[in-house]
Amino acid sequence: METVFGIAVDGVAYGMILFIISVGLSVTLGLMRVVNLAHGAFAMAAGYVASYAAQTMGLPYGLALVAAVLLTVVATLPLEKLLYRRIYGSANELRQVLLTIGLTFVIVAGINYLFGPTLKRIPLPEMLTGTLDLGPKSIPTHRAFVIGMGAATILALWWLLERTSFGIRLRAAVDDPAMAAALGIRTERLYMATFALGTGLAAMGGVLGAELLPLEPYYAIRYIVLFLAVVAVGGAGSIFGSAAAALTLGVVDTAGKYLIPNFGEFFFYAALILILFRWPHGFFQGRAA
Amino acid sequence: MTAVESDKMTTNTSTLPHSRPALPRIVTDAMPVVVMAVGGLAAFWLFPNDLGLLTRILAAALFVMSLDMVLGYCGIATLGHAAMFGTGAYAAGIVAVNWVSDPLALLAVGGVAGGLIALATGALILHARGLTLLMLTIAVAQIVQEVANKARDWTGGSDGLSGIDPAPVLGLFRFDLYGRTSYLFALAVLIVGFLVARRIVRSPCGLACRGVREEPLRIAALGGSPRRYLVSMYAVAGVFAGIAGALTAITSGIVGLDSVGFSWSAEAMIMLVLGGTGRLYGAVIGTVAFMAIHHILASTDPFHWMLFIGLFLMGIVLFLPGGIASLSARVLPLVKGGR
Amino acid sequence: MIDAPLLQVDGLSKNFGGLQVSSNISMDLRKGDRCALIGPNGAGKTTFVNLVTGVIPPTAGTIRIEGHDVTRQSAEARVRRGLIRSFQVARLFRSMTVREHLELAVLERTGRTFRLFANVRRIPGLADEVAELLEGMGLTAVAETAVGTLAYGQQRLLEIALALAMKPKVLILDEPAAGVPHSESHRILDALDRLPDDLAVLMIEHDMDLVFRFAKRIIVLAQGQLLCSGTAAEITADPRVREVYLGSRAHAH
Repeated sequence: METVFGIAVDGVAYGMILFIISVGLSVTLGLMRVVNLAHGAFAMAAGYVASYAAQTMGLPYGLALVAAVLLTVVATLPLEKLLYRRIYGSANELRQVLLTIGLTFVIVAGINYLFGPTLKRIPLPEMLTGTLDLGPKSIPTHRAFVIGMGAATILALWWLLERTSFGIRLRAAVDDPAMAAALGIRTERLYMATFALGTGLAAMGGVLGAELLPLEPYYAIRYIVLFLAVVAVGGAGSIFGSAAAALTLGVVDTAGKYLIPNFGEFFFYAALILILFRWPHGFFQGRAA
Repeated sequence: MTAVESDKMTTNTSTLPHSRPALPRIVTDAMPVVVMAVGGLAAFWLFPNDLGLLTRILAAALFVMSLDMVLGYCGIATLGHAAMFGTGAYAAGIVAVNWVSDPLALLAVGGVAGGLIALATGALILHARGLTLLMLTIAVAQIVQEVANKARDWTGGSDGLSGIDPAPVLGLFRFDLYGRTSYLFALAVLIVGFLVARRIVRSPCGLACRGVREEPLRIAALGGSPRRYLVSMYAVAGVFAGIAGALTAITSGIVGLDSVGFSWSAEAMIMLVLGGTGRLYGAVIGTVAFMAIHHILASTDPFHWMLFIGLFLMGIVLFLPGGIASLSARVLPLVKGGR
Repeated sequence: MIDAPLLQVDGLSKNFGGLQVSSNISMDLRKGDRCALIGPNGAGKTTFVNLVTGVIPPTAGTIRIEGHDVTRQSAEARVRRGLIRSFQVARLFRSMTVREHLELAVLERTGRTFRLFANVRRIPGLADEVAELLEGMGLTAVAETAVGTLAYGQQRLLEIALALAMKPKVLILDEPAAGVPHSESHRILDALDRLPDDLAVLMIEHDMDLVFRFAKRIIVLAQGQLLCSGTAAEITADPRVREVYLGSRAHAH
């Protein structure tokens, strides 16, 4: 029982991190039709910035998190205008893949130039290092924190997309770009805002998940396949799809690591093939945003 | 020109007859082979201490060429092509360790294995398009890698499969310590592979695949089945990728998990795009350029290399959508002096 | 049935929901026919073509090719029986040459596209047949040109050549001169004049010069129904036609 509980907690926490990072990719893919392989690099960059802010500059964890997210968003926003805008649209997959792989390499090289090629940590505040008692069980506070942040992200995104005018316009544009443009929705600004949202989520996930997806030089390349898989299964542009896919992957992978070491990914990818074979547009397609 | 002038409707054709090659086809056809053979032999004499690297380059070139058949001729964007390479490499390696050590037989084993996995997975995934297809190709490669990782008894898992000791080529040429036989063997395989691949892309099936890449609906209107063409060419490319994997296994004596890795698939795509798609010899150019520069830059600091190749890729996408090979098509008219 | 019509359409009707877009259309085409289908926009010409070629199923009526009932057969089956159409919107392989287009069409027709090791240039008979098609449409001079760089009128000619490469018995030309400047539509007409004599041709076209000069018989559709049919002279003299079609044109002047 102890194992099952441990798997559940670790798996859900891991899944939440995958969700926070992947949902940003999912939203940009759903709206702008861009396969952004540099998404993992954005998460990585934020992680390194937070690590530097916390370790070298001595900022508190929360402040380091906010600073890293803001800095990443501000730094990547010009990229939307300079690079991404040229490759939006589903007819451009190959160019998207190549451009964003190129961008990933440049970011990876830049990070290693700035911060060095060693594994980085973001020291947790004392508040998050202990365990949290939940009746008969106790779980690591950090895991609880991550799960809480993930749940909060789901709720916040749900609110943003269902209850705000930004969300209404975003969903309209995902459903029918031509109609949205005809209705006078300014897609350029919408794209930019969505890109910033996606990057911000990647950055947040990169910082929060540093304990689970360690910050190492090849982070951006190592994990992008996972993020893409979540999006493909969840369906581009679907929040709840991404959440379900990420949590499933998190639990399956974690269970695999505990029970049959390293076989989790095998099952996950086998499931991925079956799901995509049956539902080529993802399991949750149809529910835009 | 007279035929063109007689037809007033051809408003913009005055430039077109120039696009025909000035050289007879037999010359343009022989050129890549001659360049490969001469260049390959020259490298053999010039860099006797780097034959290991050069051999890897040749095998990689065959792999990238097989990717060109898929990406360049069929328009299938794949990030999982290493699945076929790795399957061929492991199949040849396992057979070599346990049963047969004749290098040509091992190449055949690799080719069959690569072709079969491509046929099976291609039939399964090629109904998809865009991101879904991209993900499926990645997923297939990840599964193959995972299987190779788990089947330790056969593949050596993460330690790699070693102890591949091929017999002399044709019973005559022993694989020597300096890698001379390996290199020349790989060069011969690459050139033969190029000739066969070129024959295939110029066949009716190759023609149909190019049609599918451009307008699948039109192929259907002509009475053809786009998906059947794609699966056929995917399987054929799988044979080439499998042979390239087997060639690597034979000449290096070891097969590692990275031969099925995502990075290897992505690198192959980069090499192909560097050299230019849809030309076959572009694959060879791209591979030689990529791996040679990699060797030079990465030996000092791998991140210099990543910066370089990253900027290069971005530059190509933004400023040279057709790849390096399109450079000649763009520069040539300028060289000809404004026509 | 010694001389069954190549194409015979009887009482063809189509409803979309409650809307009748084609009602009770009957017509036939015989060897050597040069027929044009005209009518104002929204008359149901495109629907008629789609019904005949099998893109959409009819609600009622029958379609026969050489006496064989193909009403329930797929579009591909009709293609195999020799009912071929050209397309209004060019769906061509932009980077491939004119010659390659025709090679592909001929190979596809003869079922030889799965050969992996054959050299296209050396397949017996192929080069001759392609040369004939190029000649017939006046495309020989641009045979090695990538189609994406061709003048629009030549793309239209290639479209017709592709249809011919499939060895049609009945050829349906969907606006062969669409997008071609009026001053150059005679190029299309010249090419159409060289079509094989025993071919039955049905042309859908807006360019009335082209219609009157090409067609021996003209069928007028209006509001999904066959209004009348006859020679150019009969059609232009028919007051009903003037009203629904030519008349509206006259008003526009």
